Amino acid sequence: MADLIRLTDVEKSYTRGKEKIVIFDRLTMHIEAGDFVAIMGPSGSGKTTLLNLVGGTDRADKGAIEFDSARIDNLSESKLTQWRAANVGFIFQFYNLMPVLTAAQNVELPLLLTKLSGAKRRENVATALKIVGLADRAKHRPREMSGGQQQRVAIARAIVADPKLLLCDEPTGDLDRTTADEILGTLQVLNRDLGKTIIMVTHDAEAAKFAKRVLHLDKGQFDERELAA
Amino acid sequence: MASLINQIGAVTALNIRTVPQRAAMSIASVVAVALTITVLLFFLALSNGLSKTVTGSGSDDVAIVLRDGSVAELNSVVRKDQLNILATGSGVVQKDGVPVASGELLVIVDGIKRATGTEANMPFRGIGPEGLSLRKGIKITQGRMFTPGTNEIVVGAGLLREFAGFEFAKTINLRGSSWQVVGVFEAPGTVFDSELWADIAVTQSLFNRPNSFQTMRIQLNSASTMPAYKEWAKKDPRLQQLQVLSEREYYAAQASQSTRQFTFIAWGLGIMMAIGALAGALNTMYSSVAARSSEIATLRILGFSGYAAFFGTLVEALALSALGAIAGLLLAFVFFEGRTTSTLGSGFTQLVFKFQLSPAIVVSALVTALLIGLLGGLLPGIRAARQRPQLELAAQ
Amino acid sequence: MNDLVLMRKNLFRKPVRTVLLVVSIFMAFLIFSVMLSFNHAITNFNALPNRMVTLNKINFTESLPIAYYDRLRQMEGVKAATHMNWFGGYYQDPVKGFLPVFAVDPETYFAVYGEDLPVTPEVRDKFFSERTAMLAAKPVADKWKWRVGQRIPMNSNIFSQANGSHTWEFTLVGVFDTPQGSSQTGSVLIHFDYFNETITFGRDRIGWIPFLTTSATVNDKVAQAIDQRFMNSQDETSTQDEAAFNKSFAAQLGNIALVVTLVVGAAFGAILLIVGTTMALAVRERTREVGVLKTLGFSSGRVLAMVLGESLLLSIFGSGLGMLGAAGLLELVKNAMAGGGPPMSFAPIVLWWGIPIAIALGLVTGLAPALGAYRLKIVDALGRR
Repeated sequence: MADLIRLTDVEKSYTRGKEKIVIFDRLTMHIEAGDFVAIMGPSGSGKTTLLNLVGGTDRADKGAIEFDSARIDNLSESKLTQWRAANVGFIFQFYNLMPVLTAAQNVELPLLLTKLSGAKRRENVATALKIVGLADRAKHRPREMSGGQQQRVAIARAIVADPKLLLCDEPTGDLDRTTADEILGTLQVLNRDLGKTIIMVTHDAEAAKFAKRVLHLDKGQFDERELAA
Repeated sequence: MASLINQIGAVTALNIRTVPQRAAMSIASVVAVALTITVLLFFLALSNGLSKTVTGSGSDDVAIVLRDGSVAELNSVVRKDQLNILATGSGVVQKDGVPVASGELLVIVDGIKRATGTEANMPFRGIGPEGLSLRKGIKITQGRMFTPGTNEIVVGAGLLREFAGFEFAKTINLRGSSWQVVGVFEAPGTVFDSELWADIAVTQSLFNRPNSFQTMRIQLNSASTMPAYKEWAKKDPRLQQLQVLSEREYYAAQASQSTRQFTFIAWGLGIMMAIGALAGALNTMYSSVAARSSEIATLRILGFSGYAAFFGTLVEALALSALGAIAGLLLAFVFFEGRTTSTLGSGFTQLVFKFQLSPAIVVSALVTALLIGLLGGLLPGIRAARQRPQLELAAQ
Repeated sequence: MNDLVLMRKNLFRKPVRTVLLVVSIFMAFLIFSVMLSFNHAITNFNALPNRMVTLNKINFTESLPIAYYDRLRQMEGVKAATHMNWFGGYYQDPVKGFLPVFAVDPETYFAVYGEDLPVTPEVRDKFFSERTAMLAAKPVADKWKWRVGQRIPMNSNIFSQANGSHTWEFTLVGVFDTPQGSSQTGSVLIHFDYFNETITFGRDRIGWIPFLTTSATVNDKVAQAIDQRFMNSQDETSTQDEAAFNKSFAAQLGNIALVVTLVVGAAFGAILLIVGTTMALAVRERTREVGVLKTLGFSSGRVLAMVLGESLLLSIFGSGLGMLGAAGLLELVKNAMAGGGPPMSFAPIVLWWGIPIAIALGLVTGLAPALGAYRLKIVDALGRR
């Protein structure tokens, strides 16, 4: 399959006080379309930074980042934002739903960035909620739902605009085993049946097993053998 | 009990140490209270200054006679024959065989208010020869008293400060005759400071009111002879339609008329602003409690009682509003306390007075501020006290 | 759902806090509306640009000879003139029943003030023809429960009749409405002739002479001519625009405009701080959510607009309630005050100033938090590096 994401000689560091901390030093790697990759590594290894760079929520200092053969690292801020809205869905450890909105309204948020009519938006929201099995919870607020249910709303929000890529940052970190497995199962369905490419950062080896392959990241370097596989 | 006090002390200290984190909202609260207090003090000081000037004008031992039913000098009429009778009453002081009494007529002339450049009603009072001696504490500070029977005027120092047109040595033209200001007198803290005085007979003829008097002032031996004099006057059939009061009573009634309106305005505005400030205080305190929820939870786990949390919050709220009250008071002292101004008095003429705070006013303002603090801390304090000592709250 | 829904929901996230802010804004605008309406009421009467008034130069409480009126109305540039006398009137109680009663020449009075005396031709003719007729402003009649046709005894605290009585009897022939700004607010009108023939002193003297000029452009010339004519006489005159006279009378109370400005300024200053700091806190609490919105693809500009929109919503809502409340309050007070002063009703000028101020308040209190949200980087907001 063709590459969806390609990083070439990417460099990223940040300064804390007087110290310059290097995260990535000429990182080159790629992810194929339709892949479900789990990235594991100790804290400080750069897992989250990688998600930020790939998802366009942070910028690399040097190097090229390509998405679907088009470079995203040289897009203007507003163009990058528009690209992200159309192509990437995010899933966070702590769900990050808006407490003042209902489940359906939370899911509808990404669609406010499109030109779809109100009716069409509601239709897409209903579909997304059905996929994650929460159609009956549409009018509930986050505080009225369990952790697992909230995460599923978050997943619905992540897929409602039909993005090609899903980025998950410790999606099961706050859930118990059973619920975690359900969520991971849902991710598998999204990958297998809807063809979404998924990059999942996790420190849970059990969770990593749900992915198609696992990459280990340490001090900004991937295990070369895993990349080649 | 001692333990509770220690706890409250500890919680309060914690609260106050963390105020800088919520500095912005706390400052907003303080400012709101300060401005509320300043506005309240402004109108109360105005009312008090006006009242003090008017009430300070009256003596216990001077009787003032007006037409029965008149609420102000301008509407009063006393006949000449009645004046003569009144001067013969019991207890009237004699000076060289002449009763110390003054039949008076008040007319209004235009002066220019310096502050706005517009015309204003100046009280022009024709007084009898004994008019000056009847009024205590008057000092001629420039020039001299007018000579009876001439077109000479003396002007009050207060009037001179606030209004133009009657400066010392100035000649004024009224109805084709020239009048000259021959003296300036000081009668601080009384209505007389805002008046122009001239000879009664000349005033009557100038203003086409021959033999017309509005009031009469009579010097009695002492305040204790006032009731007897009043009784005597009431019984005389020729003095019907007249009312006799002590000068103090007269001015007290005058004062209450004008101050009532200003006191109403003071509290009307004050309460409205206080409600707004209270809303601000509540907001600040609720935020304060929320911000400290993890600390409070920790303390509760350690065993601090709910009362400590409650009082700690209350003390913080009271401290903020007390600061606001002090700031408001300072603003009052800087911007208007002691300043002179003038307004239309109840006699339809301008009255010069000073903004004056009094201990009672300051206390009522402080009480208002503390009330805001109390109410602003009460409900949030209850919320703080009800906070459950849960570990997960403390962990945040 | 749309951006507006999100703004509204965020605004009421902590209902208690929002309600408290609304209360603060409400109070500030209540004070603002009442004070501005008061200031407007005492300085704005229907002063026609070509209506002037001649007074005694000494003071407007000094009278003028009636002969002046005859001479003045024949002067060049004078279209119509009338005369008024202060009766010193009160109904029943000298203090509580105080009323502005004027003894006027009926026909010429209507010629000068006609537009503020909306009565039917029948009522007008009745007033002209009956010597003891009285016209009253409707609020006054309502307050004292007078009915048209009733005989009203009116007292004077200045004048008396030959028999020593201070009471005159009049017949109320009609009432007239006095909308905001009417020059005849609270007035009670009686015949000058009846008054002049029955008083024991001060006969053939008039209080002041209101008149219309042929055009406002000749005002100054006419005023000068009149004052010149009577200069160096026993009763010198001072002629001015009616509007100028009204203003100087209001100024006698004090620098009202300054006091109003300071009090209103204090109220607004206080809420500016309260609302501003609270909005800043409210937005800070939502740092993470702002990060999420930006992650989802909302542009920084859109996020800024949403924060500003929130504070504008709050400000417009609170100010609207405040101005509405003031209108209601003034309506209640108006009826209680009939005859005791200028009528205070909600002045339209409150809206002309109030709406822009409300918008400005919303913008200023929302600016800092909106800019903060605009500049917030996603990685900082979500605390993930």
